[in-house]
Amino acid sequence: MATTAIPSEASSRSCAWPGVLLAVGRIVLGSIFIIAAYTKLHFDGAWHFGDYHFFFAMAIDSYKMLPTSMVQWMARFLPWGELGLGLLLISGYGLRWSGLAATALMAVFIYAMTHAYILKLEIMCGCFGNNEKVGPLTLIRDSSLLVLALAVTIGAFVLENRRDTAPS
Amino acid sequence: MNPLLVRPIRLLAVVALCVLATTAFSKKQAKQATPAAAKAPATPVNPNFVKAIGNPSAPITMEVFGDFQCPACRGFFEATTKQVIDDYVIPGKVYLVHRDFPLEMHPFARQAAQLANAAAEFGKFEDMERALYDHQDEWSTRGNIDQVVGGAFSAAEFKKFQAFETQHISEINASIERDRALGMQRNVNQTPTVYITTKGKTEALPGGGVDYKLLKSYLDYLLRQ
Repeated sequence: MATTAIPSEASSRSCAWPGVLLAVGRIVLGSIFIIAAYTKLHFDGAWHFGDYHFFFAMAIDSYKMLPTSMVQWMARFLPWGELGLGLLLISGYGLRWSGLAATALMAVFIYAMTHAYILKLEIMCGCFGNNEKVGPLTLIRDSSLLVLALAVTIGAFVLENRRDTAPS
Repeated sequence: MNPLLVRPIRLLAVVALCVLATTAFSKKQAKQATPAAAKAPATPVNPNFVKAIGNPSAPITMEVFGDFQCPACRGFFEATTKQVIDDYVIPGKVYLVHRDFPLEMHPFARQAAQLANAAAEFGKFEDMERALYDHQDEWSTRGNIDQVVGGAFSAAEFKKFQAFETQHISEINASIERDRALGMQRNVNQTPTVYITTKGKTEALPGGGVDYKLLKSYLDYLLRQ
């Protein structure tokens, strides 16, 4: 009796690990997105709900990649998008799609930063406020976040697939 | 009235009259002195090295930490500052202040800043700033600033700047260092870095220069507040 119970307990424990890792990953990633949104709305010791988009627009524009109208639109909505995405990731609701969105967003950020770095633009990253220059460190940090977002997305799809194919 | 009180009251009245008369007289004197003081002095006695354009009591003060040899500063000056001067400084909406922040990597930046400080004392800062940025390519490789920029002024005027610079070099350097220290205190780590002050609140804009259209929308927003 005991010999059959032990492997089944062990296998159920090992099956729990991917879920735990995924939960940790999505909570870390979600928190980072929320922090990124917070630093765009709260800086210099005060909330900037009325004028945050001016500062963020200037930061986005310094990448010299988008027309001014699009820059202004992005500056207005991106912090709220990051906040929403962070909350979705932490809650785990629609994780496959929020994971995909996070991965796509990180890929866009890294593309923009690499572009600026190659062109030797001396600009502020704008990732967590306006106080760090684009450079190898910001590129490494954002690449790590891209890997995390990718892992969360793949994990979410794999677990969902397992749940769908598991015998009831 | 008590006769004992009459004397002190009279005395007090005389003193009060004297005070009022002195205040009125000194105010009149100050009013008369203002236009003369506003004129650029032929030879400044007490140099204060104010490198600013516009009305100091404008609702917005825009400070630019810049380096005359920095290409990004020239780009910002040509594309943004010139338009800010036309649209906001001249109409009295913005007071534009230049802060010297010569970077170590630019060997002639300090020399250019020294000349700009000297010109500022003769009320010619704006012209000197334009000349330095407009001809940056010509002097930034060989450092022949006087030769290149001198052409933008009359020979007599430029000689005055040079003579003043020679006589007051230590004060000029102290002024540059004051600006640099202010920049360091504010964590300026690149040029140009712009600060906007309005209603006693100072905000830093993202370093490296700002597009005029975006800056304009921000300035208009501040002026509407």
